[in-house]
Amino acid sequence: MKKKTLALVLTLAMAGSLAACGSNGGDATSNNDKSTSSNTSKSTSEEKDDKKSGGVSLNVTTTFGGNDTNQKNYQDAIAAWQDETSNIVNDSSATSDETFKARVAADFEVGSEPDVLFYFNGMDSNSFVEAGKVISVDEIRKEYPDYASNMNDDLLGASPVDGKNYSVPVNGYWEGMFVNKAVLEAAKVEIPDANTTWDEFMDICQKIKDAGYTPVAASLAQIPHYWFEFTIYNQLSPTTHNVLPKSVDDEHGKAWVAGIEDIKDMYDKGFFPENTLSGTDDETFQSFIDGKAAFLVDGSWKLGGIEEATDDIDNFTVTYVPAKGERKSTDIIGGLSSGYYITKKAWDDPEKREAAVNFVEYMTSNEMVTKFAQTSATALKDGADVDESTLSSLGKDGLAMIKGITGISGAVQDQIPTECRVPVFDGMPNLVTGKVQIPDAVTEVLTMIENYTPSEAAE
Amino acid sequence: MSSNIYKNKKPLFFFLIPAFLFMLIFLYYPFIQNIFNSFQEIRGLGTAPMGWKDPWYSNFKTMWEDENMRIALKNTLIMILVTIVGQVGIALFLAILVDNVKHGSKFFRVVFFFPIVVSATALGLLFNLIFLYDKGMINQLLEVLGSKSLTDWKDETHAFMTMMIPVTWQYVGFYFIILVTGLNNISDELYEAAAIDGATTLQKVRFITIPLVHNVICTCVILAVTGALKVFDLPWVMFPKGMPFGQTWLTGTYMYYQVFNATDVDYSSAIAVLIVVLGIVLSKVVNKIFKEKDY
Repeated sequence: MKKKTLALVLTLAMAGSLAACGSNGGDATSNNDKSTSSNTSKSTSEEKDDKKSGGVSLNVTTTFGGNDTNQKNYQDAIAAWQDETSNIVNDSSATSDETFKARVAADFEVGSEPDVLFYFNGMDSNSFVEAGKVISVDEIRKEYPDYASNMNDDLLGASPVDGKNYSVPVNGYWEGMFVNKAVLEAAKVEIPDANTTWDEFMDICQKIKDAGYTPVAASLAQIPHYWFEFTIYNQLSPTTHNVLPKSVDDEHGKAWVAGIEDIKDMYDKGFFPENTLSGTDDETFQSFIDGKAAFLVDGSWKLGGIEEATDDIDNFTVTYVPAKGERKSTDIIGGLSSGYYITKKAWDDPEKREAAVNFVEYMTSNEMVTKFAQTSATALKDGADVDESTLSSLGKDGLAMIKGITGISGAVQDQIPTECRVPVFDGMPNLVTGKVQIPDAVTEVLTMIENYTPSEAAE
Repeated sequence: MSSNIYKNKKPLFFFLIPAFLFMLIFLYYPFIQNIFNSFQEIRGLGTAPMGWKDPWYSNFKTMWEDENMRIALKNTLIMILVTIVGQVGIALFLAILVDNVKHGSKFFRVVFFFPIVVSATALGLLFNLIFLYDKGMINQLLEVLGSKSLTDWKDETHAFMTMMIPVTWQYVGFYFIILVTGLNNISDELYEAAAIDGATTLQKVRFITIPLVHNVICTCVILAVTGALKVFDLPWVMFPKGMPFGQTWLTGTYMYYQVFNATDVDYSSAIAVLIVVLGIVLSKVVNKIFKEKDY
């Protein structure tokens, strides 16, 4: 009997110790939430802390994490907002990649979504917009009429689901061709400009190659995305580019095949790095920084990366990607693809509603948008008032490039669900080496899209 | 009364239940759910299934026809063989040598075990620098030795070998420690008796050491086989997305790719089921081949 009693006592003690561990863990989470990043739901102890400070605790997730150009601006901004309002931000920002997207989707699915998120306004947001888990700008304005009143509504980035605005953008993006000037000087060629044609660009690449340098820094094995976009754009125009083909034989299908054939042509000519099919994007980027490769096609977010990676920023500039066909070189890829959403979860919480609206208004004020956008496009009615003296020479070149654009189109790849991109993106090495025929890969992509969204494909 | 105390095992269950519940909730429930997921249509990670696949076994049919899956299975089977020979074999060799060293055996134990305490991601980055195309350590050494051109250690010809070397090297220390512990349990009297009978060192190893650590070797081989089926982190850091040309896929990396890059969650669930089935079957096979023996 004594043994049984002892066993029972020990079991209870064990259960008690587990419970104690649980409560300690809660406290630990609470502490972590304030100092680092976590968007877990609030623990009881944390709520008590909030009441003590009199502030509201907002769970926020954004793409201003990792090496994002605006990572520091964002951290400074939330610190300033916390000081002003005595509210608390539990930040779980991360680099914008597929893992981040999966986390956000999973959070919404299991009901642990953040209160505010800065996220894509294209297809990636469809699932939570369809589920009614975010609040539209119009609905917010019924209670807060001045919400996003400094923005041009037509540029907010309406949802593909119902055409309504749900998000308030901060900074847009553009894609252009970064240039390592020293390589071009060594190869005795001029920097391509708005008037450089595709054929002239091919000649420039050949001269750079003949001089012993790699013309184009790109890992076709890992990031063929930018060249996919521009070589297809070269077959179309700003008004027709951002349309998915219905079949491989229609105008857009043919443009896709011809575009990828141009990439294959460049590969055959040896314009990409020798290890473009086995090296990573980091390796090819480094070869560009180290003066071994001349051109790098990438987005406006790369400005900060180049500034950080080099001691001689004046050695770099950015220009238009040379064009052919109907597209002019000054027609670029760009847009406002992300914005701040307020979730229904926060909206339905009377305490958090006010704080969430205040947070988004703070982060999308004219001053803040100007600070974040720098050289990129904004949706501000008054436009961004950028202080050029704060920009590097590369930043100024980016701004000058944007001022000269004649047309802009969103990236067509944003319309392709991630799992349908595999045959042309992950399969690019097979396409450029001829192991898989380009029309077959494009057909496979289109079939996957059709099977993925049968209702839209039938339209 | 007193004998009943020892017969009554009920109190033991009180202590087993918490661990059992933990396993049930965090291992067996997700595993069974994963089997269901492999037959369902799931659009994204964390999203609810949209219904059963049509036909319900279509993921397994796709897997059968998937060229990348074939490569992943082939590579994984090679990895298992390399693991058994390269990891357990080398570990056994080193363990026997260290066991015969009179001075400094502790030093060698620490040296050989050290890679285990370094994270696989860090090792992946380290070997990335060693095998880097442009001014990597090996290419620089070759340049010093007079090589005129750079070797791409990650191209189609070299990629698989480049991946195998660090993976094999990483876990040698793990099996080494297990085997050294097994060797320590062998009584010195046996070796002394063999020495008196005139046995050579090789004969001692062949007729005393190997038979007496047979069961430990068996455990190591089972761990190596099941470990090789799951290996992921180091190959992924060095060869993301099966680069180049999908030649470096392993079952673990291909499953991860399908979840996080291709966002084909149901298909990756099917791959996970296959990995578990393979793990069970192969450990049974290993058990049959290396039957545990009582001496």
